[in-house]
Amino acid sequence: MDSRVITITSGKGGVGKTTTTANLGTALAMQGKKVAVVDSDIGLRNLDAVLGLENRIVYDLVDVVEGQCRLRQALIKDKRLPELYLLPAAQTRDKNAVNSVQMEQLCRQLRQEFEYILIDSPAGIEQGFRNAIVGADEIIIVANPEMASVRDADRIIGLVEAAGKPEPRLLLNRLRPEMVKRGDMMDVTDVLEVLGIELVGIIPEDEMIIVATNKGEPAVYDKRSRAGRAYINAAQRIMGEAVPLDEFDEAPSLLERLRRLMGFGQSEAERRVRSQPS
Amino acid sequence: MGVFEFRVGRKKPTPGELAKERLKVVLVHDRMKISPELLEIIKQELVSVISRRLDIDEQQMQVNLMRESGIDKLHTDIPIKRQKVTFEWDPPSYTPGTPVMRGKVHIEEDNEAE
Repeated sequence: MDSRVITITSGKGGVGKTTTTANLGTALAMQGKKVAVVDSDIGLRNLDAVLGLENRIVYDLVDVVEGQCRLRQALIKDKRLPELYLLPAAQTRDKNAVNSVQMEQLCRQLRQEFEYILIDSPAGIEQGFRNAIVGADEIIIVANPEMASVRDADRIIGLVEAAGKPEPRLLLNRLRPEMVKRGDMMDVTDVLEVLGIELVGIIPEDEMIIVATNKGEPAVYDKRSRAGRAYINAAQRIMGEAVPLDEFDEAPSLLERLRRLMGFGQSEAERRVRSQPS
Repeated sequence: MGVFEFRVGRKKPTPGELAKERLKVVLVHDRMKISPELLEIIKQELVSVISRRLDIDEQQMQVNLMRESGIDKLHTDIPIKRQKVTFEWDPPSYTPGTPVMRGKVHIEEDNEAE
């Protein structure tokens, strides 16, 4: 089978790797692709809960690589999508329970069954991260538009290059268009200029993500979730479709532009600038 | 933001722009693995080389790493102190109460030494 192993990583923790893996995996499966999502964050299992599959786990990734069970036994079929499977992480082991050779072997095995294999990487740049990228064809870096996250993303880009992998692509997560508009947050172009890699998607900050995680149903199922819609677009881009990037209102609205032209109803940033002695 | 920029004139960088500029500096250091100590050594060596020819203001001098149009650069600002030249060969047109004669005119001596 012609399959692609894509690792979702970030360096910094808490930027949305697991949410991204769950949503991209679900979105790809919704497009009829055969997808496996792999939780490689051994000891800190979470992808199962985001997908709502936490009470179906019998075997895990470590059991598979140690030969305690067959791959098929450990794979958990999704509740809704017949083409989506999860390989959960072990919760009671640590990151050194698996080595790079075993991970590469596991990827080869998964390739025989699936079109897309998404690996959710642990945070950090240690063995767990190296295991997550060793068998990957492509790497997607999740970053938030804030300093620590972008800095770590830059470090990851260097490490991915050093590992002989192709240039990673960026998924900019938790962007807040209102803050960008005010000048209080870095814009997509700022982050791209600093990192110098290709963009695969922009996901706006969205409360629905927390609601979705609470329910164990990825946000892509919810048509009202703007993050969910953005993830669907990103998944289509991964599939090679040309989807335009400006999927939500980032530029000032017509009303806002008019208001500014007329010189009343200034925005927050404008007021601040005006009160500065120039 | 174009419209009000025009109205207000030069603006202070927004937090977003500030983050971007700070990131650029941090990343140049991260990427090149150049420590502040090494940068200080480079600075001292620059001072010793350049002050053989010019009287520079070491206090105001800055040596930084930066990234511009995709190229990492070592960027230095080296302010030159008021030139000490003698009236004989280059009388300054305006000398606001500065002891112009104070400086050293080592340039010729150096040339002779070579």
